[in-house]
Amino acid sequence: MTALSIAYGSRRWRFRLTGTLSTGGQIGLIFLMTLLLLAAAAPLVCPHSPQKTSGPALAPPGAEHWMGTDDLGVDVWAQVCFGARVSLVVGMGTALLAGLGGALAGILAGYRGGWVDGVLMRLIDILLVLPDLPVMIVLAAFFGPSVWTIIGVLSAFAWVFTARIVRARVLSLKQRRFIQAAETYGAGTFYLIRRHFLPEIFPLVTVSMIRLAGRAIVAEAGLSFLGLGDPTSRSWGFILHHALSFPGIYYTAFWKWWLLFPWLALTLVVLALALIGKDLEKVADPRMRSH
Amino acid sequence: MLSVKHLSIVYDRVRPAVPAAMDISLSLAPGESLGIIGESGCGKTTLALGLMGLLREADIQGQVCFQGRDLNTLAPARRRRYQWRHMAMVFQNSLEVFNPVISLGEQLAEPLRTHLGMDRQAARRRVSAMLELTGLDPVWQDSYAHQLSGGMRQRALIAMALGCSPDLLIVDEPTTSLDPESRTAILNLIETLKREMGFALILISHNLPAVQQLTTRLMTLYAGRVVETGMTADILRNPLHPYTRGLINAAPDFFPYKDLWGIPGAPPRPGGTTGCAFAPRCCQSDDRCRQSLPPLTHVGVERQVACHKGGIETVLQAVGLSKTYRSGRRTIQALAGVSLSVRRGEVAALVGPSGSGKSTLAHILVSVLAADAGEIRFRGRTIVNHDATAAMGGIQIVFQDPAEAVSHRFSVLEAVREPLDILGWQDRSRRDAKAAAALAAMHLPTGPDFLGRTCHALSGGQRQRVAIARALVTDPALLVADEITAMLDPSTQAVILRELKAQQQARGFSMLFITHDIHLARKTADRVYVLEGGRLAAQGAVFEILAANDDNRTHPLPRVAMENE
Repeated sequence: MTALSIAYGSRRWRFRLTGTLSTGGQIGLIFLMTLLLLAAAAPLVCPHSPQKTSGPALAPPGAEHWMGTDDLGVDVWAQVCFGARVSLVVGMGTALLAGLGGALAGILAGYRGGWVDGVLMRLIDILLVLPDLPVMIVLAAFFGPSVWTIIGVLSAFAWVFTARIVRARVLSLKQRRFIQAAETYGAGTFYLIRRHFLPEIFPLVTVSMIRLAGRAIVAEAGLSFLGLGDPTSRSWGFILHHALSFPGIYYTAFWKWWLLFPWLALTLVVLALALIGKDLEKVADPRMRSH
Repeated sequence: MLSVKHLSIVYDRVRPAVPAAMDISLSLAPGESLGIIGESGCGKTTLALGLMGLLREADIQGQVCFQGRDLNTLAPARRRRYQWRHMAMVFQNSLEVFNPVISLGEQLAEPLRTHLGMDRQAARRRVSAMLELTGLDPVWQDSYAHQLSGGMRQRALIAMALGCSPDLLIVDEPTTSLDPESRTAILNLIETLKREMGFALILISHNLPAVQQLTTRLMTLYAGRVVETGMTADILRNPLHPYTRGLINAAPDFFPYKDLWGIPGAPPRPGGTTGCAFAPRCCQSDDRCRQSLPPLTHVGVERQVACHKGGIETVLQAVGLSKTYRSGRRTIQALAGVSLSVRRGEVAALVGPSGSGKSTLAHILVSVLAADAGEIRFRGRTIVNHDATAAMGGIQIVFQDPAEAVSHRFSVLEAVREPLDILGWQDRSRRDAKAAAALAAMHLPTGPDFLGRTCHALSGGQRQRVAIARALVTDPALLVADEITAMLDPSTQAVILRELKAQQQARGFSMLFITHDIHLARKTADRVYVLEGGRLAAQGAVFEILAANDDNRTHPLPRVAMENE
C-alpha cells in the first residue's frame, strides 16, 4: 500500500492522486481500514451484544470480555466496535456534507463573485468568529439528540474552512487561460464546475475533508460527553459520558478500563486521520510535492 | 482610341471548344497605359493576339474599335495593312519569334518595306536608327537571332515593333527569362520610348513591379474574364478581388521576406462553370458564387470588381477600442482608441514592443476582456458576449503560453474536443473524428496512445500544436494568434508557423498574428498594424511598413526593430 489512487465517477472521469505515503501515513491508513472493517463487521467480531448484560459488572479485560464490562455487565469491546459505527458515520457524514457544501459555496463565491461572494464571505466571517461549541450545544439541545442533528450542526460550522480554501483556489483558477478559453467557447458555470473546477479542487477538498472528519469525530464525542448525543446510538463519547456519570466509579478498581478503551479508540482515529491528511496535503500542494 | 466591347474569343477548332476570353471590355486613350495580369493560361496572350487580329483558328465575337474603325469587320488583309502602321505588338521573347536563317536587319526591315513602302537603303537606315534607339549597336543587324543574348533579342523585338511608329504598343511579357539588370534596363527603355514616342501601351506581364512601373491602369484576368480593373497604384496597394490579392501576395518583389505561397489550386479551364470561376480557390466563396456569375460592377470611380461579395470581405472590424487598467490610484491606458480590420483570407500582423497593448487587444477581440469603449464587428455584426467565439466558423484565439492554454488534466482528445463539446456540435463520434482530423492537420499522431495522453505529459511544442488544433477544430473564420511561438525554440517555432500557415493557406481563414518580432511579421503577414503605447502608430501592407534596413524611413518601426535586436 504505497500508492493511493482515488477514483470517482466513470472511467474517463478518473482522477488520480498518486503519491507515496510515508510510514506514518501507511500506519494511519491501515488503522483506519481496520477500524472500518471492525465497524462494518461488528456483529460478527463481537461475541456479545453492546446493549445487553453479558457478564459480571465492571469486569477487567479477560478472555471472555476483551475490554471488560461496564456497570451493567455490558461488553465494552462490543460497545467500542458498535460505537465506531456512530463515530465514523458522524465523521464521514460531516466531512462529506461540509466538504461538498463548502466546495460548492467556495466555487460559487470565487467564480461568480459580486454579491454572491459578498454574502458568502460575510457569512463565513461570522461563523469563524462565533464560538462554535456553545452554539453547537444550544443547537443540539434545540433540535433534539440524534446522529443527523449532530452531523447537521457540525457541518454548519465546518463548511467554512473548505469554502475559504476552495474560493481562494477558484479565484486564481479563474484567471487561467484554459478557463478563459472555455469561457470563450460559451461554457456555462455548470460546465466549468463539472469539467474544470471540481477536478482542480478535488485534492484540496479531500485533504480538507479528512481534517474535518477528525474534528467532527472529536466534536461528536464532546457533545455526547456533555449528554447532548444520541442516547440510542452509543458512540464513544457517550460511553465516556456514561462511565463518568456512574456515581460509584472512583470506588472500583476497574473503572479505568471502561474509560481507557473508548478514549484510546478516539485518539487513535484522530491520529490516523491526521497522519493521512498530512501526506495527502503533500500530494495536493504542488510546492510540497518535490520534498 | 481603342475601345473593346464584349470581346469573346473561342478556340473552336479544338474539341471541346475553349473559350479563352469572354466578354472583355476595355478602353484606352492615346498615350495611356494598361497592365494586364493573371496566371498563365488566363487568356492574357489570347486577348493581345485577338486585338492584333492574329488569331485565325478562333471564333471572335464583339467589337474592337480602333481610332473609330471596327477592326473585326475589316477583311483580314485590309486589317493587317491598316493595323500594322498603328498597332504593334512585342511578342514574348523567344528564339522562335525570329526566323533563324534570315538576318536580323532583314527581318526588321521587312515590315518597313511592305507597309511603309521604303526602299532597301531607307529601310536599313531606319532599322539602324531603331536599333540605336533601343540601345543596340546597329552592327548586329547583320547577325542572326541565335547569336544575340536574351536581353539583346528583347531590344531587337521592341525595335521591330516600333519600326512603324505605332499609336498603340502591346507588349507581352517583356521581362521573362531576363536577369534583373537586363530586366530593369528593358523596363526603363520601354518607359523612355513611351515618353518620347507617346504611344499607348498595353503591358501583359506577371511581373508586378514591371506593371507598377509602366502602367497607370490595371486589369486582372482570370479564366478568360476580367475580375478587377482600376488604377494600378490602388489595386497593388489595396486589391479588392481575392484573386488579385493572391497574385500580389505571391510576388516576391512585394514581399521579399515572406514565405512563398501561391494561390491554392490551379486555374480551371475557362468556361467550365456557370458560377464564378475563382470560387473553388476562393476563401470566401459560398453557394451563390458557385451558381451564378458575378458581373463586373463599379465599386469606385475607377474601380470595377467581379465578385458577389463586392470584393474581399472584412471579417473583423474593431472601432475605437479603449481599455484602461486601474491598480490603486494609478491608471494605465493599455489601449487608446485603436481601430483595425482584418479581411477574409489575409494574415494581418499586429506588432509592437512589450507593453504596447497587443495582448490586451487580442483578449478584447475574443471577449476574454471587456473594452471600456469601442465596438467590434465580426462579419458585419456587433459582437455581444461570446457569440463570435462560441460558434463554429467564428473567432478563435491561440494563447502565448501553451502550458496555460490547455488544462493539464485533459487528455489530448478531450482538450481538442472541448470546444465542440461545449458548443454541442453534432454527436460524440463525429466530434472525436473532427478532433482527430484537427490534430492530424497539425501533424500530431492520432493513435489512441497519443489521444489518451494527458496534456501535462506533452512537450511545449506539442502542447502549442494541440492548442492550435483546438482553435482550428471549430473551423474559425478568424484566428487570433497571440505570440504563439514566443516560448518555443526557433526550430519548433519555424515548424509550427509553417504548419499553421499551411492550414491558413488550405482553409483560407484570416489570421491576426500578434508578435513583437518584426522578422516573424515580415515572414508571415500580408498587412501589418504597428501598436505603440496603446495607439496605432502605422498600418499598411507589409512591404510599405516593414521595409528592411530602410534608414531614411521615419516610421516608428526602426525603434521596434532595435528593441528586437
